[in-house]
Amino acid sequence: MAISPIYALRETGQNLWRNFMLSFATIITIGVSLWLFGGFFLVNYAVDNATARWEGGIEFVIWMNPDASAEQDANIRNSLESPAISSFAYVDQDATYAEFVELFADTPEMYEVVTPEILPPSYRVIPTNPDADVVQELALQFADRPGVRDVVSADETIRQIQNQADEISRVFLIVSIILLIAATLLILTNVVSAIRSRGSEIEIMKVVGATNWFIRIPFMLEGLAQAMIGALGAWVGLFFLNNNVIAGLGDGDALELMRGFRVSDSEFYSTSVLMLGIAVIVSGIGSMVAVTRYLDT
Amino acid sequence: MIKLENVTKVYKGDVVAVRDATVDIGKGEFVFLVGQSGSGKSTFIRLLNREETPEHGTIYVAGKDISSLGAWKVPYLRRNIGYIFQDFKLLPKKTVAENVAFALEVIGKPRHVIRKQVPAILELVGLADKMENIPTELSGGEQQRVSIARAFVNRPLILLADEPTGNLDPQTSVGIMKLLDRINRTGTTVVMATHDRGIVDTMRRRVIELDRGQVVRDQARGVYE
Ligand SMILES: Nc1ncnc2c1ncn2[C@@H]1O[C@H](COP(=O)(O)OP(=O)(O)OP(=O)(O)O)[C@@H](O)[C@H]1O
Ligand SMILES: [Mg+2]
Repeated sequence: MAISPIYALRETGQNLWRNFMLSFATIITIGVSLWLFGGFFLVNYAVDNATARWEGGIEFVIWMNPDASAEQDANIRNSLESPAISSFAYVDQDATYAEFVELFADTPEMYEVVTPEILPPSYRVIPTNPDADVVQELALQFADRPGVRDVVSADETIRQIQNQADEISRVFLIVSIILLIAATLLILTNVVSAIRSRGSEIEIMKVVGATNWFIRIPFMLEGLAQAMIGALGAWVGLFFLNNNVIAGLGDGDALELMRGFRVSDSEFYSTSVLMLGIAVIVSGIGSMVAVTRYLDT
Repeated sequence: MIKLENVTKVYKGDVVAVRDATVDIGKGEFVFLVGQSGSGKSTFIRLLNREETPEHGTIYVAGKDISSLGAWKVPYLRRNIGYIFQDFKLLPKKTVAENVAFALEVIGKPRHVIRKQVPAILELVGLADKMENIPTELSGGEQQRVSIARAFVNRPLILLADEPTGNLDPQTSVGIMKLLDRINRTGTTVVMATHDRGIVDTMRRRVIELDRGQVVRDQARGVYE
């Protein structure tokens, strides 16, 4: 079956205009739902990136001076061999550099000026007792030791940030799913109303022998076009969320905890592609149901 | 060309619209379907282009059993069957030429074919000078000519017409019948349901009469009753 692209485009365009208000509502709903959906992923990625150092029960990190002597180092290591410490891992300068490169993979200008020698090695410590006060006290014991540059603990604040981010992203996800369902129904309504308003054309098409697909495709393209416009809006919103909000939080010097709160380019792109995929699926379901229920009789 | 074998069509609510009909229509025949209102003429015609499927019996069109035709093949069947409505069913926003072209566009005919065939068929139905008018600018008879042009532009083997003169005055109807007669003489099989006694009696073609769904008369060179 040959369906000329000009025919399909013209029909789709006419259909879109015919029901401008409904189309508008549909596009907005799709846009907002996809934006929330994408936001869910971005916030998750950002939180994961920011808290990667704190995974697996690590409660505090002892950053050594890069030029700490072997003696100072041994001293610390000695103290860590204690019943209060469940386990610890030493991350040397090369490994720290590797992490650094990974974290700033998209911004070579960050790691190009850095060499392993200037990065601090660290001990990542898992205490036996994860209670916040105990951890705090334990961490403090190391803060003033010779050779130690800084001790950073994953105290309540971090846990709270993790939990709150989880909450927020869960709300994003739930609301976006509800809106996606609404968007699917709106697309369905849209396509059905387009079908209704073109009853006589459809009748003629059927009687002169147009194939089902030929009749369907302009209507399905209409659903797809709405989803794509919505997705484009959502993408712009996501771009803004990433570049202004998330990046802004991650850059802040004020919040040590937020360091690394960022989304890599590849994470952003995979989120965009996922969003586009969802848009296609939503419009596919909505318009497919519409054409099979209201067109083929 | 068209063959019905013991065809029965029952609608919901046990309305038997066509009952055990056996009819054989050859290529190039012109057949009038007559009978009282509700006798099943429209149903008979709709069975021939698979708008309806029979509960019993078999229908052959151009040698194919269309009662068991897969749904996806129905459009291709219909490309061989022109259909003329009582109320024309022209698209009001399209010009005469566009209305006719639409029938070719939607079956994927290439542009250059459409550009050639549309003026040719409008010439044939005598509307060459009204190509750019819209349907409301035409008389009823002219509108029906457009509808015939649309039905015939793809040169179908069969032309089905359900009371094509039902909305027209007698004089205009004569013009339409002359046109259908001309089309029939090109070898196209025409099946036409009608209430118009005058037309049937002047044309003297084969007449099939239905009564409560049953074929009660099948007469060559017949009259209305
Ligand atoms: N879609 C339908 N559903 C149910 N019953 C129908 C349907 N179409 C027609 N009928 C019934 O089938 C019978 C035959 O109807 P049909 O329209 O074929 O008659 P007809 O001879 O064309 O009548 P008319 O001369 O008034 O056009 C009638 O009793 C009608 O009520
Ligand atoms: Mg009828």
